[in-house]
Amino acid sequence: MITNTKSVASKPAELLSDYRPPTGTFDELVDNTGAIRPHWAPLIAAFDGLPSRERRARARRLDRQVSDTGLAHDIYADPSAPPQQWRLNLMPFIISTEEWKWFEKALVQRAQLFNVMLGDIYGPQKLLRSGLLPPGLVFADPAYLRSCRAIVPPNGHLQFYAADIARGHDGQWRVIDNHAETPAGIAYAIANRVMHADVAGDILAECNVRRLSWHFQDFQSLIEGQSGRTEPNIALLTPGPDHPDYFSHSYLARYLGYHLVESGDLRVAGEVVFLKTLEGLKPIDVIVRCTEGARSDPLELEPSAFDGPSGLVHACRANPALVVNAIGSSVIENRGLGGYLPTICRELLGEDLLLTDAPRSWLGDAQARAHVENSSDDLVIRDAREGTGRPGQAALGRSLQHASAADREILVAEINTQGARFVAERRLGFATIPMLTPQGLRPRAFALRLFASAKNGGFAVMPGGLSIGVDPGSAVALSASDGETQDVWVPMDGVERPHTSLWKPQLQTALIQRSQRNLQSRVADNLFWLGRYLERGDWTMRVIRTALGRRFEYLGSAPANKASELSLELLLDKGTWRRDAPNEPRQDLRPAARLASMLITQKEGMYSLAQTFDGISRVASLTRDRLSLEAWRTLGKFRIDDAWRSRMRDASTSELQDEIEDRLAMVATFGGQMHENMTRNFGWFFLDMGRRLERACNVSDSLNAHFSRSVSDDVDRERLRHILDLADSYITYRSRYRLEPMLPLVLDLLLIDETNPRSFAYQLAALSKHLESLPQATDGNALTRERRIVLSLQTAVRLADVHELSAVRQDGRRDGLETLLHPALDELPQLSDLISRRYFRLVEDEPHRVATRPGTRQ
Amino acid sequence: MIYEISHRTAYKYDAPVTQSQHVVHLAPRSVDRQTVRHHSLLIEPAPSTRTDLVDYFGNPYSILSIDDEHSELVMHARSTIQVTPRQSLNRESGTPWDRILPLLLEKQSSTDDLHAIDCATPSAATQTTPQVIDYAKASFPQGCPTLMAAWDLTCRIFADFKFDPTATDVSTPVSRVLANRRGVCQDFAHLALACFRAMRVPARYVSGYLLTRPPAGKPRMQGADASHAWVAIWTPEVGWVDFDPTNRIMPDEEHISFAYGREYHDISPISGVLLGGGRHIVNVAVDTKCAS
Repeated sequence: MITNTKSVASKPAELLSDYRPPTGTFDELVDNTGAIRPHWAPLIAAFDGLPSRERRARARRLDRQVSDTGLAHDIYADPSAPPQQWRLNLMPFIISTEEWKWFEKALVQRAQLFNVMLGDIYGPQKLLRSGLLPPGLVFADPAYLRSCRAIVPPNGHLQFYAADIARGHDGQWRVIDNHAETPAGIAYAIANRVMHADVAGDILAECNVRRLSWHFQDFQSLIEGQSGRTEPNIALLTPGPDHPDYFSHSYLARYLGYHLVESGDLRVAGEVVFLKTLEGLKPIDVIVRCTEGARSDPLELEPSAFDGPSGLVHACRANPALVVNAIGSSVIENRGLGGYLPTICRELLGEDLLLTDAPRSWLGDAQARAHVENSSDDLVIRDAREGTGRPGQAALGRSLQHASAADREILVAEINTQGARFVAERRLGFATIPMLTPQGLRPRAFALRLFASAKNGGFAVMPGGLSIGVDPGSAVALSASDGETQDVWVPMDGVERPHTSLWKPQLQTALIQRSQRNLQSRVADNLFWLGRYLERGDWTMRVIRTALGRRFEYLGSAPANKASELSLELLLDKGTWRRDAPNEPRQDLRPAARLASMLITQKEGMYSLAQTFDGISRVASLTRDRLSLEAWRTLGKFRIDDAWRSRMRDASTSELQDEIEDRLAMVATFGGQMHENMTRNFGWFFLDMGRRLERACNVSDSLNAHFSRSVSDDVDRERLRHILDLADSYITYRSRYRLEPMLPLVLDLLLIDETNPRSFAYQLAALSKHLESLPQATDGNALTRERRIVLSLQTAVRLADVHELSAVRQDGRRDGLETLLHPALDELPQLSDLISRRYFRLVEDEPHRVATRPGTRQ
Repeated sequence: MIYEISHRTAYKYDAPVTQSQHVVHLAPRSVDRQTVRHHSLLIEPAPSTRTDLVDYFGNPYSILSIDDEHSELVMHARSTIQVTPRQSLNRESGTPWDRILPLLLEKQSSTDDLHAIDCATPSAATQTTPQVIDYAKASFPQGCPTLMAAWDLTCRIFADFKFDPTATDVSTPVSRVLANRRGVCQDFAHLALACFRAMRVPARYVSGYLLTRPPAGKPRMQGADASHAWVAIWTPEVGWVDFDPTNRIMPDEEHISFAYGREYHDISPISGVLLGGGRHIVNVAVDTKCAS
């Protein structure tokens, strides 16, 4: 057997032996004689050093990382929509140190140029008046936001900038797209690096690759410095979970440690933006914007778009540094600009533009239009402006040459009437890069996205980026149909600063903090409901389990089944059910199992498993930035879809049992992960309050239904066993008493014992403790109403005597138990409403628009 | 002529509004033939914050926020304005319509030129479509003087379209107005603007008022009892010239302009964002009378 300890130089042929880039193209790995370019040698040697089995294993691990992280599929997306593709190749793209230095200079120059240009476009407009920049190009661009004129941030519009660049067959790099609207793309680059380092960390170290974290540390301190406050509140504004880039927004917010907020979390009062938190409104100092500029303020921008809080533009007038990038920045993304940049660069910076754009002409220009109409070149017509810049999602253009005569006529007419919206571009071809496939290394056409961020009056380029495989036949924008990406490695030049986590600012400035940063009302609301749904799922499935089978020897008798039926009816009473549907309820099952199968297979009723698990998935995904990765993975298995329900419809009793056991375990795992991983702060309080409240409702409801009236000793005995099983307290009871279940003892265990986590009293004690720790725990000097409710229930339970509660009147009623439980049945739902109103009220209202119109009196 | 204009808007909401923010274009501007003698804007309940500013197009406007709960809102603007007659114009001569934009682009532009170029560019509500071009082109024979083409388009819109407040609402697109041949002043202004801009003629939206009760012997014009809207186009010889397609008229002393923009949405009299409020009823009362 050959070992891997020998020098790799002795067998370089293995990976490279059949690597054959197409002739006439530029390849990054080998030159046109087929010789490896020197800066790739250590990387290829390292890969050669891995047995092919190990390479395959690592590639598989990387695939799993991608799917677990959530990049590959968008779980928020409509399930019927085609999934977004994302793949990360084990082979990175490595850039030579010399080339990287040039990239850094070139990208910084472009960022600076765009900053000066934006200052002019939204300021004196000298470029437009002199004609260096065609006024029509700016005026026709919907990203030019007139309301933002004269709002010029002191440090410039751009704090981050990204460029898509590609190398043509001539070996020259050109810019194919610019990104200034949102920093969203950078999250994909970070995620790629994190995943890749996990799988190929040893090679990363061997190749001396620069880390990304320093770059963000500089960026963070810049943003904090810009706020002018020592501990600024920084928010990352996202359009919300329906946006296709939500993954990257939540990832970036978590990476940078910023609040992830939606417009509903914010409110502008006067000229200040506030975050709605549990403790009321807190001012926000800086907003990192991941919303489209035009959609960021319904008051002064696009009236039908509510992605940002109403009044945001006006707040920027008072504080132009409030939003980064400044609203309106994306006007520099216009693809028509490229041809004018070299002259503008010389004029504004007094330098030659280092990195030029792919040749394109803006069709708002009459001469360019005439040229296109008469040209026989292979030109592609493309929108001058496009979307939010999710990597690899650029639309394909329309070819003039390959269009049918009729299509060409339509296209030419469109160009002539709305030319300002289009550019014409030439195909340049793309250089190739090696990708690792099961067959070995294969060349693939690619483009790069590189990122720059502001740094002390200038810009710095993130030492890394995204390399994306492109369709070689496409024109010059970044369109990657299969989403194949590669990490970008920049080797160190000298010694790097030691690694410091983003989460630990310099120790001298860090304060030890245990208190929680502000919790948004919306997040508190979601966590509260997550707690309720988890507990509801657990309880419902326990009820179902008692109906399906013989968990213990005492079950299966007629009274025991009756007890299950009563518990099931109690749940079914809370929803609307189809009892007459064909094949439902199932006639082949016992009555209790029949009722249970309705909870399993029906979709609409409240307390149906479908509703409960849908609720869990929904609210959990809305609080995703607070869940651990493990919890997130468990959650992925929760979804109940139509296929699952129809499978359950045909399942046998024991199959149903298995499924319910599995799901109970999943909920327990998820709950355990939350329990182990969440710090005990406000977020935790709300999660736990939701769970305690739901459990208090279920326990009190059941005790009341089963025992407020005595039927017969036999029935009572079965009901006692049933309720002990439901409350997971049978074993505790047996170990304590070694007796048949007896009502006073069971009531003590399930109602009054504050040490039993399943008891009613335990839930009240927990609620009381959480409510006391939350802000707004008092109304002036008095307790709040919700605390008074809990206190009165708690006192009644503590004063209760189990023998009095168990006593049966002549008519069969246990009025002591009724007197104790009825207030709880009324007041617990009220308690939920009161908590909502006090802490989540700020999220309730949806903004909407009003306007009057001329010519009428309405 | 001196006018006194009262514009009162009252909102009643079904449910309490917890916060409302408004952009208000109710203040007149002193331009060309107009001098503002007096202006006041009364808001009830009193706004928590109010900022008076000048917008992108040079119009005065206010941004205000009412942060206390309210279920009614009244905004009452009162203005006194002096208007002088416009000079007589010869529509038969002047720069041809198809030369205007090239002339503007050829030279180093002034701020006013840039504004004209901006106004030659289609906006969201005035997009160039094949239907717009089809309708417009009859008024724009090659080499035709711009004012002549503009008057022809004004007359055609007046003849082809019926004033009908029930046919459209505040966001009806030009395509539907063209298809149904009905609408109000705002719709006709947007249609005219779309036509001018399709032909690359600088054109802007004007919002303002008409005399509520006409002088004896003169007919009452459409839009007299509410705020009104018309258009203005730009020529190198005389600058901005107004045309009112709703009344087939070249506005003179009886049109009082308040604000200019590319379209209605740039300068709508009141537009706001509410939190809460449910449904609402709005009542607008406009009264324009001669003070002299």
